[in-house]
Amino acid sequence: MSEEKNVVSRRSVLKGAAIGGAALAAGGALTTESASAATRLKGSTVKWTTRGGGATGDKIAKAVNDAFTKKTGAKVVAQQVNSDDFQNNFAQIMQGSPDDAFGWMAGYRSNHFGEMGLLADLTREINRLKSTLPTAAIKGSTSPVSKKPYILPTTYYPWALHYRKSMVKDLGMNPESINTWDDFVKLMTLTQKKGLVGYSLGAKGGWEAMGTFDILNARVNGYKYHIDLLNGRAKWTDARTKETFKYFAQLIPFMNDNVMDISWDGMRDLLLQKKTGAMMMGSWFANDFKAKSQADYDDLWVVPFPQINPKFGRDTIDAPLDGISVAANGKNVDGGKALAEFWASPEGIKEAVKAGDTNIYVSKSFDTSSYDAFNKQKLAVLASAQNIMFFLDRDARGDFAGPVVGPAIQNFIKKPADINKILENVQAQWDALPKN
Amino acid sequence: MSTGVVQNEQYRNSQKRKDTFISIFIGIFAFVWIFPILWTIWTSLRPYNDIISYGIFSWPRRLTFDNYINAINEMEIGKYLLNSLIVTVPSVILTLFFGSLVAFVVTRYKYKFNLTLLLLFTAGNMLPIVLTYIPVFWMFIWVGELFGNRNLLYNNYGGLILVHVGFQVGFATFVLSSYMKTIPKEISESATIDGANVFRHYWNVILPLLRPALAALSVLMTTWIYNEFFWALVLMSDDSKRPITSALRRLQGQYVTDFNLLAAGAIIAASPTVIMFFVLRKQFIAGLTLGSTKG
Amino acid sequence: MKTAATIKKNRSRRSLSKTDRFTLATFVGIPTLLQIILLWVPAVVTVILSFTYWNGIRLKDIQWAGIQNYKNIFFNNPLFYQALKNNGIWLAFFVLIATPLGILLAYQIDRGIKGHAFYESIYYLPVVLSLAVIGIIWNFMLQPGGFVQGLMGRDIGNAISIYGDPKINTWVILGIASWRHIGYIMLLYLSGLKSVDPALKEAAAIDGATEWQIFRKIILPTMQPVNIIIVVITLIESLRAFDLVYIIYGSPTIFPLLNLLVFQNFAGQGISMKGAAYAVILLLLCIVPIITYLRISFKEDLK
Repeated sequence: MSEEKNVVSRRSVLKGAAIGGAALAAGGALTTESASAATRLKGSTVKWTTRGGGATGDKIAKAVNDAFTKKTGAKVVAQQVNSDDFQNNFAQIMQGSPDDAFGWMAGYRSNHFGEMGLLADLTREINRLKSTLPTAAIKGSTSPVSKKPYILPTTYYPWALHYRKSMVKDLGMNPESINTWDDFVKLMTLTQKKGLVGYSLGAKGGWEAMGTFDILNARVNGYKYHIDLLNGRAKWTDARTKETFKYFAQLIPFMNDNVMDISWDGMRDLLLQKKTGAMMMGSWFANDFKAKSQADYDDLWVVPFPQINPKFGRDTIDAPLDGISVAANGKNVDGGKALAEFWASPEGIKEAVKAGDTNIYVSKSFDTSSYDAFNKQKLAVLASAQNIMFFLDRDARGDFAGPVVGPAIQNFIKKPADINKILENVQAQWDALPKN
Repeated sequence: MSTGVVQNEQYRNSQKRKDTFISIFIGIFAFVWIFPILWTIWTSLRPYNDIISYGIFSWPRRLTFDNYINAINEMEIGKYLLNSLIVTVPSVILTLFFGSLVAFVVTRYKYKFNLTLLLLFTAGNMLPIVLTYIPVFWMFIWVGELFGNRNLLYNNYGGLILVHVGFQVGFATFVLSSYMKTIPKEISESATIDGANVFRHYWNVILPLLRPALAALSVLMTTWIYNEFFWALVLMSDDSKRPITSALRRLQGQYVTDFNLLAAGAIIAASPTVIMFFVLRKQFIAGLTLGSTKG
Repeated sequence: MKTAATIKKNRSRRSLSKTDRFTLATFVGIPTLLQIILLWVPAVVTVILSFTYWNGIRLKDIQWAGIQNYKNIFFNNPLFYQALKNNGIWLAFFVLIATPLGILLAYQIDRGIKGHAFYESIYYLPVVLSLAVIGIIWNFMLQPGGFVQGLMGRDIGNAISIYGDPKINTWVILGIASWRHIGYIMLLYLSGLKSVDPALKEAAAIDGATEWQIFRKIILPTMQPVNIIIVVITLIESLRAFDLVYIIYGSPTIFPLLNLLVFQNFAGQGISMKGAAYAVILLLLCIVPIITYLRISFKEDLK
């Protein structure tokens, strides 16, 4: 199927950001193309959707959109929506009367809907931004089926092991050297002995646990096997898949009791309140630590998930790529494309960062020299991996990831002994999917 | 004779004790019943900082209506309430109107299809809506495209009103037709003999007689349509156009940790129907029973 | 020789002019058209789509699937059976516990205990609330950091798993649903109870009948029509439960329920016509109560 090629080796994505590449002049001069765009758009209205993010999200959107207005004279009308509802009703919203531009996710979600004609073709825009974007990011935004990009890449973040340095030190371990599976188990065991949660997981939404599965599978069986598995070339009933779940099962005794009750924010709170030893998560929540206190933020640390199989080391990481997409059915597609291009351009990025955006941008113009310790570590984690995956529900088809794999993993966590039956069922459901 | 009286008295005394016991039990049960609502009201009256610093069970240092003021401002609750109004009032009026039309024809005029129609309408109200959400969405878009404007029905108050009417008209028809059956045939006959055409028969003769039923039904319909929240999530992509009950979804996600603000918002959203229920209780109950116990 | 009555009848028939007939047609036509288009056509469309493969976006992508979707559901989908079980539990709970409680409540309140009007209102209050509001209210009670957890002295870190624990979460959602359902049934029954002749009850009481006997032999039979309505309403409400569960649990993975499965597959991120198949199965389950209701309500007309 089409998605497999999304997940190619993208080391150069990291090269661009981690090394803090050639910093282009932040205020790029208007090219002739964008100059005419400015006159063309003057007075028109572009509609923007902020996907979740609360007050900070609105603030960042306002900063970037205002700058866009100043530059082109086009008015921007922004609204924030509940992220889950937007995602769940995406097909409907895109077929209805969507806003013109919005933050979206690369991978299946942009490729599929783009191929279906619901997202605008952004070839022109991405070509104009070519000099500021790493090739791998451009490739990751392009559909392997239609060869067109339906998203302009902006940010990405690592899914990795997070813990608090102070807690690890208290256990007599070195926070800088949690490297192997045994180190990891020791960390969890000691934490649990203290009466706390060894490994926290919130699986309420069904997708959170995919992060743990992804990384375990990549560590145990390698990146290629994982991608093969998600695309039907390897079997869920294979002994190698079962091996991954054997490791997963080892984590379960260390987990919190209310796994099914909480989502990522519950996991974050557990770590914030020093009630857990470690968790696998995307690093976006670090802002909340910073908001609580600088001390909490300084205490936060992230490392790649420990090595299990020396053959694969720690060569793979989930690093979802986000970007800006344009709705094909929006009222002002032209304006949407211009707005999207602005958001993804060095100018727009500068505004977002100024307004408080702490995400890592793939743009070569992104200046990371003033990064604090945690963010530098984030970059290091990203840079250390050779293979990048986007995350299971972006690398696998939508009618399989959410409805089948999510519940399967949840059922496994509830009843680990049923794993064989669960895997047979997942395989059967894969086989039953219509394949064209 | 005297033993009978004594028996009666003993029986009445034991009944009284039983009654008191039951009264007390029901009273306590009622408190437990209403406790979640009370807790929410309580939460809405406490300032956020108090809860953060001292926990949810702490003795209140002060009670305030700040949360309500903030809810109205920050959450723009006024706008959403207006949306609810814009959607609910026409829906109720149209539903009752259409329901009375069909009930009128079906009860006042003999046609072969009368019963089938009634059955169709009543059954329609009982279908699980879940299976219509997406097809109706497709239909709205398709019709919109036909007329060159996607927003003809989708993301449009009109579309939302249309689905509400379509779904509730069955119940209105059913109730009004069983009520109309109690209107004597002679009234209709004399109207026809006096030369009234169908329309005047309906408008001048029957409709005024329907007033009590309409009053009762309108209270019921308003409550149901106002409380409904799912259609707007499917059919309205503009959050700013959604009724308050649907907007609560977004607000719940956005203010998930700000309990007190959310509580105030929820209370405000619940108020219209609750107030209406207390003020118009008789009509409410009449409406329910009209439908279920056939007059 | 025509009688006066026949003359009258003929005249009223003949007096239906063309305009009159047109008016009647519109009176019936517009609402019926609305109903058919908004309710029945989508229902039929759903049934047809359940036999296809489609991702819900472009018409040209529709492929014929025969009964594959159904096969997939019945043989490959453990969630389906969990959902059926939950729907069944819901039904049983409503029929055996919630509705009887409502009836009991109505009966006790009807006996004229002090302040019964007040109690009526209190018990009925949850029915008047929007499900969106109810969801928020109960989240305050049950979520980690909420009232019930606080009572047990647990905060977010060690909160008992209420939503996720399949042993508990069923009772939780049933409790919340009953919170609403009981009040509804209570009110329906109360108004019916008012039609029972109190003298009859008194006489029986004096004759030494116990309360239970009075209930069974006098009240229940008088309330026959109401009883059946209540049973059918109970059945239909338990099969239709969707909004509440969507608000509280969100996805069918935590608490599988047929309606949730319909929506997750019909809308959402991975649209497939399995959703349509689920909907058809749900429809089939609802048909029996619906037909029963119709037959009872229109008993005389159907003769």
